[in-house]
Amino acid sequence: MFIGTVTVVDFAPDVSGDPRPDDHEVGRLFAAGDEQALAWAYERWAGQVHGMAVRAFGPGPDAEDITQQTFVSAWTGRRAYRPEQGPLPAWLVGVCRHKIADTWARRDRQRRETEAAAAEARATPAGPVTPGVDTAVADRVLLLDELDRLGQPQKGIIELAFFEDLTHAQIADRTGLPLGTVKSHIRRTLERLRTRLEVDGAALHA
Amino acid sequence: MQHCTPEQLALAALREPLPAGDAAHLAHCAQCRADVASWQRSVDALAVPQLAAPGAPVAPPARVWAAIAAATGVSSAPRSVPPVASAPEPAAEQAPAAEPPPNVVPLRRGRRRTVLLVAAAAVVGAVIGAGAVAAVRGGDDGVAVQSVALAPLTAAHASGSAVVLERDDGTRVLRLDLKAPALDHAYYEAWLLQPDIKGMVPLGMVESGQTDFELPAGLDLGRFPVVDVSVEPLDGNPAHSGDSVVRGELKT
Repeated sequence: MFIGTVTVVDFAPDVSGDPRPDDHEVGRLFAAGDEQALAWAYERWAGQVHGMAVRAFGPGPDAEDITQQTFVSAWTGRRAYRPEQGPLPAWLVGVCRHKIADTWARRDRQRRETEAAAAEARATPAGPVTPGVDTAVADRVLLLDELDRLGQPQKGIIELAFFEDLTHAQIADRTGLPLGTVKSHIRRTLERLRTRLEVDGAALHA
Repeated sequence: MQHCTPEQLALAALREPLPAGDAAHLAHCAQCRADVASWQRSVDALAVPQLAAPGAPVAPPARVWAAIAAATGVSSAPRSVPPVASAPEPAAEQAPAAEPPPNVVPLRRGRRRTVLLVAAAAVVGAVIGAGAVAAVRGGDDGVAVQSVALAPLTAAHASGSAVVLERDDGTRVLRLDLKAPALDHAYYEAWLLQPDIKGMVPLGMVESGQTDFELPAGLDLGRFPVVDVSVEPLDGNPAHSGDSVVRGELKT
C-alpha cells in the first residue's frame, strides 16, 4: 500500500542519461547517511518543501529559513526516517510542517513576552500580566508530534483527511482499504489526538 | 433515534456530511454535538491551508542549498539546483518580511464537502459591499499611472498583470489581467496588500481574463501597493485564505 502526500515533480529531468537512483533508493540511502542522497533529495523535493514554506510565510527569508531548517533537521535526524513507513518526500513534508508550527509557536511566545513586558512597563495594576496563548498555535505543535507517533496505515489515513481534504470514501479508494476500516481508524486517531490535547494541552496552558 | 455512532461523529468532526438520519439527530442531541466539538479542536488546528499537502513547487534560491551544505558539512551538491524561473523572486524582494497569517486570519480550510451556499452568497455580498467595488464598463479608459507584472506564487500556471488607470475625473481603476485555470468549488479574489501583509483591502472576485475595479477614493496605493490574487474556498470565511496564486507590487 502506498500512502503518500507528495507528488514528485522533477525539476531537473535527467538529460545526460546518467543512471540515477529511483526515489525509493534515494530514501534508503538518505536513511543510511549517504551524503549524495541529501543532494538528490534536495534536487527532487526542495521545490515541494519550499512551496509549502512560501505558502505559510510568503516568499522571502522566512520561507527560506524553513526550507533550510527542514533539510538540515531531516539530515541530522535521518535515523528517525523509516523507508518502510512511507516515501522520503512525505517525511520531509512532515518535518516541514513541524518547522512551520514551531515558528508560529515561537512567534506567539515572543508576542506574549513583548506584551507582558509592555504591560509591566505600564505598571498596569490590574489585569492579566500574561496575555493568552494562541490555543491553535500551541495545539499544532503537540498534534504534529502525536501524528509522528502513529503507525501506518493510521498516519497516512489521517494525513489524507487533514492535509489533502479527502473524504473517508476517497481515502478508501486511494488506499484500497475497506470503508469501515478507514472510518474506524479515523475515529481512533481523533480520539488519540483529543487525549493528547487533554493531557499535555492542559499542562501547556496552565 | 439512537445516538450517532462514534465513527459517524468522527466524520462529522472532519466536516463530512452525515446521512440524513444522523444529521437530524446531531442537530438536536447536545451529547453527540459535544463529542463532535471535542474532536474538532484537532481538526481545526491541523487542517489549515499552510500545512496542507504541497501544491505547486517553488524553487528555493541557490543560497538555501549553500546554507544547508554549510550547516551539515555535506560536500555533495545537487547536480542542478532547480531553475530560478519558477521562483517568485520579484515578489520576494517586494515583500521581504511576509508575516504568516496564522495569528490574524482564522485558519479554516475550505472543506470541499461542506460548501454552504448560503454562506457563499453572504461572502459575495460582503465582498462587494465592503470593497465598494464597481465594475467599470465602457467609457474612457484613463491614463495608466502604475503597472506591474504579477509573479506566480504557488500555482504554477497562473500569471497576470495589473495596471492602475487614472480617468479624467480623477477616479482610479485597477485593471487586472489574470491568466489562471478555472477552479472547482473555489474562486479567485483580488486584494491590495501592505508589503508586510499586515493589512489588506479586498477588491472582489476575479476570473481568468480582464477585470476592472474602481478604487475607493482616498485609498492610498502607497500603503497597499501589493496586488494579490488568492484562491478562496466557498467556506463562508471572508478572510484571505493565505493561498495566493500571483502577486506583484505596484510601482509608480
